[in-house]
Amino acid sequence: MNGLDEFFDYINSLGFERFIRIFWFFVFFELFRYMIVDLIVLTIAKILKRLNRKKIKEAFHRLDLEQPLVSIIIPGKNEGKHIFKLVKSLREQTYKNVEIIVVDDGSDDDTPTIGRDMERNGFIDKFIRNEFRGGKASAANLALRLTKGKFIVHLDADCSYNFDAIEQILLPFYLDSKVGGVGGNVSVRNYKKSLPATLQAIEYYDTISIGRVVASQLGIYRIISGAFGAFRADAMQQFQGWDIGPGLDGDISVKIRKMGYKVKFASDAVCLTNAPDTFRKLAKQRLRWDKSLIRFRVRKHRDVFYPSQHFQFSNFFSFLENITYNIVLNVKWYIYFFDMVFNFPHELPFILSMNFFLYTCTNYFKFFVFSLYRSEKNVGIAYFLPYLPLMVIYFGYYLRIVRSIAYIQEVFFKKSYDDPWNPPKTSKHAKELGL
Amino acid sequence: MALEHVKIDAANGTVQYLNSTYIYVSSSRDLKIDRSIAYTGIILDGKNTDFARLVVKRVRGNNNPTIYLKPIIILNGTAHRDAFIKSLIDGVIFSFDQIPLVHEQVHHINTLSENLQFINSISFEAMIVSKLLYFMYSRELKVIEPSPYVFSNTNYCYPFLACSFIDFEEYQVLEMLELAESEGLFKSKFLDRIYLCSNCKSSRLSFRETCPKCSSSHTDTFDIVHHSPCAYVGPITDFSNDIDDQLNCPKCSKKLKHIGVDYDKPSVLHQCKNCDNRFQDFHVKAKCMACTFDNPVEALIDKEINEFTLTKKGESYALQGYVSTPKDIEDIIGTVKFDTFKTVVKYEVERLRQTEGSSNIVAISIENAGQFYAKVGSNAQQVMLKDLVSEIRSSIRSSDMISFYSSSVILVTMFEIPTKISQRIMSDILILLAKLVENNFKDLKIEIKANVHQLNYNLSSELQINQLISM
Repeated sequence: MNGLDEFFDYINSLGFERFIRIFWFFVFFELFRYMIVDLIVLTIAKILKRLNRKKIKEAFHRLDLEQPLVSIIIPGKNEGKHIFKLVKSLREQTYKNVEIIVVDDGSDDDTPTIGRDMERNGFIDKFIRNEFRGGKASAANLALRLTKGKFIVHLDADCSYNFDAIEQILLPFYLDSKVGGVGGNVSVRNYKKSLPATLQAIEYYDTISIGRVVASQLGIYRIISGAFGAFRADAMQQFQGWDIGPGLDGDISVKIRKMGYKVKFASDAVCLTNAPDTFRKLAKQRLRWDKSLIRFRVRKHRDVFYPSQHFQFSNFFSFLENITYNIVLNVKWYIYFFDMVFNFPHELPFILSMNFFLYTCTNYFKFFVFSLYRSEKNVGIAYFLPYLPLMVIYFGYYLRIVRSIAYIQEVFFKKSYDDPWNPPKTSKHAKELGL
Repeated sequence: MALEHVKIDAANGTVQYLNSTYIYVSSSRDLKIDRSIAYTGIILDGKNTDFARLVVKRVRGNNNPTIYLKPIIILNGTAHRDAFIKSLIDGVIFSFDQIPLVHEQVHHINTLSENLQFINSISFEAMIVSKLLYFMYSRELKVIEPSPYVFSNTNYCYPFLACSFIDFEEYQVLEMLELAESEGLFKSKFLDRIYLCSNCKSSRLSFRETCPKCSSSHTDTFDIVHHSPCAYVGPITDFSNDIDDQLNCPKCSKKLKHIGVDYDKPSVLHQCKNCDNRFQDFHVKAKCMACTFDNPVEALIDKEINEFTLTKKGESYALQGYVSTPKDIEDIIGTVKFDTFKTVVKYEVERLRQTEGSSNIVAISIENAGQFYAKVGSNAQQVMLKDLVSEIRSSIRSSDMISFYSSSVILVTMFEIPTKISQRIMSDILILLAKLVENNFKDLKIEIKANVHQLNYNLSSELQINQLISM
C-alpha cells in the first residue's frame, strides 16, 4: 500500500504546468491527435452521414440502375485452399454483376488444379497461371489486363466478405464522381486464436478502422487495403496498375491521389481476415508495412511535397500527417523517453506508472466511445475489455520497437528490397532502377 | 475340274455344279435376298464394291438363319479387298469354272449350319448374340476381331454384327459384345479405345481446342511478358516498337535486356477472335460429324475395342441357341437378381448356424426349354415366364424370394419351413404350372421339375446353390 500511496501523493503534487511538462507526449500527441481530433471528426462524419441519407439512397439507386460490371481480381501464390471459401462468400453477395479472375503467381501446391477445376465448373470466370512467380504486383497486373469491368475490386484469397460488401464498397463512386479508389473495412476473424490476434483485433477496431474513417473524412486517407479495395478501371489503366511492393496497396492509393482522384474509406464494406497469430509473424508483417512507409512516402512519392503543377494540398497534408504521426512521433517518443530519464530520473517509476494509467484510461474511453461510431462489429466488445490494458504495451513498446527497427533498416539499408515477399530478381532490378 | 460340270442358267441367274445350285447376283434386280433360301450359296459379282457391300450386308443382316448363314462367294473384281466384305464372304473365284475350288467349303458350311438348333430368343439382344454364335460355329471361327473401317460409325467395325444395324445404331454392336462377354460367352483382349458422341453415339468426331466462352476454335495465341522492375504485364506486342527490334516497357520506358533476368514470359494467353475472350486453357471439344453436336470431351462415352474369343460356354450356346440375356429375366416383376438371391441365402445359412431351424431353397427347371423356346415366339416366351413367376408367387409366402438362374431355371427361397411342407407346396406348384402351360400352349408339351434342398449350415451357401442347380 505504501507504493500506491506514494504514487497518489506524487500525482497530487503535480500541478498543471508540471503535468504538461512531464506528460507532454501523451497530451499533445496521443490525446490530441488520436482522441480529440478523432472524436470531433467522427462526430462530423456521423452527422454528415445522417444529413446525406437522401444522397446515399440516391447513390444506391443509381448503382442499382446501372449495375456496372465489377471485375474482382484475386492474385496470389499457394492460395488454392482459400479460393473455394472465398468464391462461396462472393456468390452470396447482394451485388451480382461480377466477373471473378484468379491469377496464380507460380504456386507450387494444388492451386492450379483447384483453380482450373473452379473455372471449368463456372465458379470463377478466369483462372490464369503464371509458371514463374513474378510477385503480387505482376499477378495483379495480369489480372487487370483481363478485366472488363467498370470497377476493379482487389481481394486477398484468405479473406471473407459481408454479404453486401461489394455493394457498399461501390457506393462512394456513386456519391462522388471524383472518387478513384475505395478501401474496405478490414476486421480480424481469428481474434480468439491467440493474444497477438486479440490485440490486433482491438487495433483494427480502434486505430485502423476508426483512423481510416477520420482520414477519409479529412481527405487524407492514403492506404486502400490490399485485402479489400475497389478502383475505377479507367484510372487503373492510366497508371498501368500496381508497382512492385511490399506496400503496393499504399503505393497505388498515392498514385490515385496524385492523379487528382479522391480516395475514400467505406466503413460498411466489411471484410474479415486472419491476422498473424504469433508475435514473430506479426513483427515480420509490421516490419514490411513500416519499411514501405519510408520507401514510398519518403522516397518514391516525395514529389508530393514539391511545388509543381500537380501539387495538391490534400496530398501534401496527407503525407505530412502520415510522416509526422509515424516517423516523427516515433523519434519524438525516444526524445521523450530520454527527457524523462535524464531530467526526471527519480520520478521515473511514477512517470511510467502514470503513463500506463493514462493510456489505459484513454483506451477504455476510446473503446466505449468509438463503439458509438462503429457501423459494423463482428463481435461484442465485452470480449476485449480485459485485454485493453495490454494495448499500452502492444502499442507503446512492441509496435514502437518494431517500427523503429523497420525505419532504421529501410533508411540506412533499403531492406525492403530484400523482403522475400517479392521474388529477388524483381526487387533487385527495382532497386537498381530506383523504383 | 472341268467346266462342263458347271452349268450356267443365264435366264434364271443360277449356276449349277454337281447337285448344288448357286444363285448369281450381279445387279440390283437380283436383290431379292429371300430367293437365296432355295440355293446352296450366293455367287456375288465383285466388280462394284459398293454393290457387293450392299448385298453382303443385306444377306448377313437378315434375321432368317437360312439366309444369313448362306455361303457367299465373290466372283471377279476387287470387292473382296474391302475389309468389311472380306470378313463376311466365304471364298473368291475369278470365273465360274473355279466353283469346284470353293464347293467343298460351301458344302462344309452348309453341313455345319444344319447341325444348329435354331431357337427363338426372348429379346433382340439375345437374338443378335445367337446370330453371331451361329455364324461363328458355321465358319468355325473362334475369334472375332474388329477392323478399322472408314465407313463405320464407330471407326472400328465388327462386320458380321454391324450388318444387323443401320449406320447410326452401329454402337449397339459394342453393347451386344459387352453383354455376351458378361454372360461368359466370350473372353476379350483389349485392342484400343474409342470415344462416342454423347448425343448420337457416333465415333466420327473432330477434336478441337475452343474458346471456353463461345466454343469457337478461331483463336490467337500470344506470350505474356512480365517486366520485373515495374511489374508491367502485357502481351509482347505492348513492348515492341516500329523503329527497331528492341523491346521497351510501356510503363517505365526501360529497355528489356535479358529474359529471365529483367523480364520473363510467365504465361501464354489465347484470345478468341469470335468473342474477344482471353483465356489460358482451351476447352477441348469433340464435334460430332454425324449429328454436329459439340461434345465436351468429358461427356464423351468411352468404349473399349476388344478382340473376342469364344469360350466353351459360348461354343455350347452356339449349338443350343442363346435364349435370353440376364436383363430379360431380371425385368420380370416379382423376381430378384441372382446375386441378391445368393446374398440372402448366404445370410440365411449364417442365421441357421445360430438358430438351427429348417430352411429350404428350390430349383424349378424347364427340362425341354430349348425345344420349347424354339417352337414359340419370343413374345410368348416372355409371357410364359411372367405367368410362371406369377403362379409361383401366388403359391408361396410374400417373404420368399424368386430369382432366375437362367431362362430355364427358377430359384425360390422357402425359409423357416419344414422340408416336407416345402416339397408338398412345390408339387402343388408343379401341377398348377403344368395346367398353365397346357391352357396357354395347347400343342406343346413342357417338362417342369422341382428340386427342394434343405439348407445345411455346415456347407457354404454357394456350394449348396450349385448343388441344387446341377441336380
